[in-house]
Amino acid sequence: MISQLFILSSKGDHLIYKDYRGEAGSDVIDVFYEKVTALTGDQPPVVMVTHHKDLHFVHIRQGGLYWVATTTADSSPFSIIEFLNRLSGLVKDYCGSLSEKAVQMNFALIYELLDEVLDYGYVQMTSSDVLKNFIQSEAVSSKPFSLFDLSNVGLFGAETQQNKVAPSSAATRPIQSSRDPGGKSEIFVDVIEKMSVVIGSNGVLMKADIEGEVRVKCYMPSCSEMRIGLNEEFSVGKSQLRGYGAAVRVDECSFHQSVQLDEFHSHRILRLCPSQGEHAVMQYRLSDELPSAPPFRLFPSVERDSAGRLLMYLKLRCDLPPKRSVSLLPEGAGLSQELSSPDQSAELQLQNRTVFWKIPRFCGGTQLSALFKLDVPGLSSASMLEVGPVGLSFELPKWTGTGLQIRFLRLSPIHPGPSQRWVRYVTHSDSYIIRI
Amino acid sequence: MQEWASQLCENRQFGSKMTDSKYFTTTKKGEIFELKAELNSDKKEKKKEAVKKVIASMTVGKDVSALFPDVVNCMQTDNLELKKLVYLYLMNYAKSQPDMAIMAVNTFVKDCEDPNPLIRALAVRTMGCIRVDKITEYLCEPLRKCLKDEDPYVRKTAAVCVAKLHDINAQLVEDQGFLDTLKDLISDSNPMVVANAVAALSEIAESHPNSNLLDLNPQTINKLLTALNECTEWGQIFILDCLANYTPRDDRESQSICERVTPRLSHANSAVVLSAVKVLMKFMEMLPKDLDYYGTLLKKLAPPLVTLLSAEPELQYVALRNINLIVQRRPEILKHEMKVFFVKYNDPIYVKLEKLDIMIRLASQANIAQVLAELKEYATEVDVDFVRKAVRAIGRCAIKVEQSAERCVSTLLDLIQTKVNYVVQEAIVVIKDIFRKYPNKYESVIATLCENLDSLDEPEARAAMIWIVGEYAERIDNADELLESFLEGFHDESTQVQLQLLTAIVKLFLKKPTETQELVQQVLSLATQDSDNPDLRDRGYIYWRLLSTDPVAAKEVVLAEKPLISEETDLIEPTLLEELICHIGTLASVYHKPPSAFVEGSRGVQHKRLPGSAGSGESVESPDTGSAAGVSDAPPAVIPSQGDLLGDLLNLDLTPPATTGPPPPATSGMQLGAMDLLGGGLDSLMGDESEPPPIPLRTDTPQSPQIPHQSPSPPDYSPTELGGDLGGSSAMGAGFGAPPAAPAASFSAPVSGGLDDLFDLGGGVGMPMGAYSPPKTVWLPAMKGKGLEISGTFARRAGVIQMEMTLTNKAMSVMTDFAIQFNRNSFGLAPAGPLQVLTPLSPNQSIEVTLPLNTVGPVMKMDPLNNLQVAVKNNIDVFYFSCQYPISMLFVEDGKMERQVFLATWKDISNDNEAQFQIKDCHLSSDAASNKLQGSNIFTIAKRTVDGQDMLYQSTKLSNGIWVLAELRVQTGNPTFTVSLAQQTVWSNHCSDCAANY
Repeated sequence: MISQLFILSSKGDHLIYKDYRGEAGSDVIDVFYEKVTALTGDQPPVVMVTHHKDLHFVHIRQGGLYWVATTTADSSPFSIIEFLNRLSGLVKDYCGSLSEKAVQMNFALIYELLDEVLDYGYVQMTSSDVLKNFIQSEAVSSKPFSLFDLSNVGLFGAETQQNKVAPSSAATRPIQSSRDPGGKSEIFVDVIEKMSVVIGSNGVLMKADIEGEVRVKCYMPSCSEMRIGLNEEFSVGKSQLRGYGAAVRVDECSFHQSVQLDEFHSHRILRLCPSQGEHAVMQYRLSDELPSAPPFRLFPSVERDSAGRLLMYLKLRCDLPPKRSVSLLPEGAGLSQELSSPDQSAELQLQNRTVFWKIPRFCGGTQLSALFKLDVPGLSSASMLEVGPVGLSFELPKWTGTGLQIRFLRLSPIHPGPSQRWVRYVTHSDSYIIRI
Repeated sequence: MQEWASQLCENRQFGSKMTDSKYFTTTKKGEIFELKAELNSDKKEKKKEAVKKVIASMTVGKDVSALFPDVVNCMQTDNLELKKLVYLYLMNYAKSQPDMAIMAVNTFVKDCEDPNPLIRALAVRTMGCIRVDKITEYLCEPLRKCLKDEDPYVRKTAAVCVAKLHDINAQLVEDQGFLDTLKDLISDSNPMVVANAVAALSEIAESHPNSNLLDLNPQTINKLLTALNECTEWGQIFILDCLANYTPRDDRESQSICERVTPRLSHANSAVVLSAVKVLMKFMEMLPKDLDYYGTLLKKLAPPLVTLLSAEPELQYVALRNINLIVQRRPEILKHEMKVFFVKYNDPIYVKLEKLDIMIRLASQANIAQVLAELKEYATEVDVDFVRKAVRAIGRCAIKVEQSAERCVSTLLDLIQTKVNYVVQEAIVVIKDIFRKYPNKYESVIATLCENLDSLDEPEARAAMIWIVGEYAERIDNADELLESFLEGFHDESTQVQLQLLTAIVKLFLKKPTETQELVQQVLSLATQDSDNPDLRDRGYIYWRLLSTDPVAAKEVVLAEKPLISEETDLIEPTLLEELICHIGTLASVYHKPPSAFVEGSRGVQHKRLPGSAGSGESVESPDTGSAAGVSDAPPAVIPSQGDLLGDLLNLDLTPPATTGPPPPATSGMQLGAMDLLGGGLDSLMGDESEPPPIPLRTDTPQSPQIPHQSPSPPDYSPTELGGDLGGSSAMGAGFGAPPAAPAASFSAPVSGGLDDLFDLGGGVGMPMGAYSPPKTVWLPAMKGKGLEISGTFARRAGVIQMEMTLTNKAMSVMTDFAIQFNRNSFGLAPAGPLQVLTPLSPNQSIEVTLPLNTVGPVMKMDPLNNLQVAVKNNIDVFYFSCQYPISMLFVEDGKMERQVFLATWKDISNDNEAQFQIKDCHLSSDAASNKLQGSNIFTIAKRTVDGQDMLYQSTKLSNGIWVLAELRVQTGNPTFTVSLAQQTVWSNHCSDCAANY
């Protein structure tokens, strides 16, 4: 059970503090902050403070804030972390965004939330659907309308027409503002996949995993039933035989508890009554057997020139179908600088001993190259071994590694008044490593 | 003058302080004053804003308690939002203003009857949070009503409120009967109420460890399992955690619970998943390993654990710490999932380090190539800590998987080539360990290591390098130069390096005495004269004296063979691991420490143990004897009866022998540790959940070669049956179809008789370190044997039971063609070979014969139990006689029980199976007695001293696998020993003679 709960800004300001069990004073906040900032780098989420013998801090970092719970007994850090994650999600749903400012402006609302989600340190409920019956405060939106948000539109596909694309900020507004007459009834369904790939120095794909989820963000005050149709040839598990078609297979998937699966086995339809706010409706995982080749390949060569400089020649190819285009592609290599085409940039970060190569846009089926020359004092043949792997981080919109597609999205009965449904696909790199 | 000056100074300081504080108070007062005015405003909006401001100041730590009355005045309002804010304020300041808090009570009581359930619940919740004693009496009535409220939201809030009230005033809660109401709520129709009631009861039960508040019986378990499906995710966690405390009656029940918990593994909330894993891991212990379901369950556990690794890094960390435990307990679950533990480039460092640990745990011959390739990549990463750990991991792989050692060493050499300082140092440290594990195998790399001598700057690496040089001094040509170079800065080195250097040079000297005399002189004088570190100085002196008095002895000591190291060194100790498995998902599992190590006070400190595995793979059983009839009949046949054995055992020599060898070091160390364990552990374990007693394992000793039976175990597996079965199965092995039937009535064999012999302690012949052997007695008088006289005795020598006989020919003619045969007997004793009488026995000649025996012969219960009927044949006739053997010769050498097993068994044995005796006139100290008994394979498991009495806890095992436990109480200076004997089976009485031993 949770004894106290507090939210700190990254600078250690007290934003929210609530004591549930009266077991320790509020001075522990500073104890925690000192402890967690004493060392550089990330700290493990469970911290025991030795001079408060029976006090344990469990914390997460979300939106640049520390979300901390303390506990005295041998309780489950797992459920506490899971709860803190949910809480930050709830605060994001209710306040629209997660930031120091949003939390400060909505402290009364957050206190109200904290009152309902926890009682005497026991988690009560974290579903925004149930909670909305109890929450009285209105959110104060901290985000003024800005033109900048609209400028990001291209992020979700530039080819489509302007009015068919939702601005990226559309999904960051408080759910309760739907009480306002001006609030739109919208539903966003995101298919988000994270890719982790390791390609060996010989070009062999050593490991490829995709972790994906289908997230639904609902702004409908009272949504009845929603049916999400996935690819019909979607299959779960390894043993199933696959036909010739573009079968979509995942190793394992799990569903949000509100999802009804009676039509899933026959027609691959998820049925649910989405509550307001954001939920991961389905999570799935696929390892090793990706349906398509990894989207990027790198052909590196690292050598030492006559002047004792380290030469790195990197050729990067994008294997996506030609029409697709990738927007952001910064990249880091293990040690070392010079490059090829116009709108890219590169930077040497001595501190991390890394070269960053930024590629703003990369078309499918094309190839880019860069040559980095580095003066390394005391370069020996042995230090060639030290040139570490190349890590790629990217965001691929409108593409999923597994091939998972949403066939349809139906709301029944049809909601009166204007309602909009948005479906987005995006694949992020989680850890895309190419070894040299 | 000076005084005046300082006074002036003080005045000025005082002055400035005055103005400062004045400035402060005015502002503060101003703010508070303003707020006060706003709070008393008529406009609702303004009031609300003001309360918000108050709470904002409260959050940042400003003291706004002065506004208490004004805020409380705002309490009576219809505006729920405002009310909530006021309640929030109240919770915070009620403690510091208890008198004022009472002012609010009336409003609370009124709100508890509000038609709006939200307000009712809010009032109950808030009242419970006001931790002021006085308020509790006002709380009782509203709470009682709310516990029976029609609205589940109010009921679930009230359920938690009982726990809150219990924390403030436990007596009140009991007096008011809230606990019963709470128990009723477990059957509530609303799952949320059930979950909160379970949570509240669990918490209250923790502070009353002996109360039966949360009485877990199959009925309540069933209710909980039903509620599990309907609960919110958080409620599911409470219920699963509660289930984990239950111990199922048998494997069938545990399987059915497992089946109903398994669907939780695919829940999206990872805390639910982990709680379910905990329940399954615990109940799986009870399932027989050969059950199909067991395999299915193992397969089902892997995917959810893997899925946990795709969660947020914080969750991953906790998951990995838990997986680390699970992998140690059941490596088979994740053995095919090595890849998911490969480190990702963007994992936080704390996740990376944990993954590395698990990779090593999962490393096996099958996947070692893959693991090594990964580790080699990690060793070139940027993060220093991670790189170091990766290098170490390579070394650990070499030690763990022998086949990979060569590849590991070459990988390490590659890494040393990079010349990255910390990589080289780390590599040298692990190579030292590899040398220890595989001596004389990889010494060819020493040259490469020596090249890097100069770059080593960390004490650990320097010490490792010096060790290598010293150990292999004979193969390194310039070892003396190398060591000499270290010697120059001797005083600046850390102790670790100094000690290692001292030893290395002494080793060098012993290997190459001629060239290094000067060097060793130098280091010895440095260590003994110029150092103020006692460890170093003493080690120096020891070497010095060794070298100067007896160089050969020095060689034996210093260059002694070292024990090999193994990879188990970094595993968690099994008993701790078992406890931690019971705490999966809790803080204990993250710290890898038992909860008692970090939770203070009464709450939650309970030792948890995994339930014993019934019918697991180790137990052997034959299907035929598994039947109830065979089982209950067989046992008496193998249990010694009391009276006769008592005598024999008492004859054991307890007079202090002149030369008692020292006890093995392991024993003495164990005793020290055990004292503590028995002092606190035994008592605390007594109150704990019971577990089935361990099943004694039979091992292949020469006396009891065992017959492996591979068969499913029967569902109800109790120790009683086990004993019986063991007896029965040895009969089976000898080809007897039906277990010998002995009437139950004969269990109570004569108890008397032996007690007299009890005092006959001085009679024995001193045999310090061997089992006692009684003097020979005449078994077959010449009168009956047609001139053949046989006298004999039994002894146990080097693990073999022997029958020692003297055959005397008192007849007139020569005797030849001797042969011997035994009748069936209680322990299946049979001759292991023919009677070796090679030469004919001429008149008036005697011959000593030793006949080795085994215990695989046919079994039949004898009366007295240790009776043996023997037939001896010679050229004249066949002669029959009976003799009795001492039960102590059946005590096998591996009769030493694990301490934990002993504890568990001891407490499990009912009082009925215990017997007490007194042994008088035994002038032995407890230690001497324990040594002596150990000679007879009666092992001291633990010793503690209470009120001047030494308590020895001892165990012994009979050749047919029955354990006998004993407690020996020795009062210093009192020659009377008290013995409490216990045996797992109902026939302990028969065995209690063993106790008389003491």
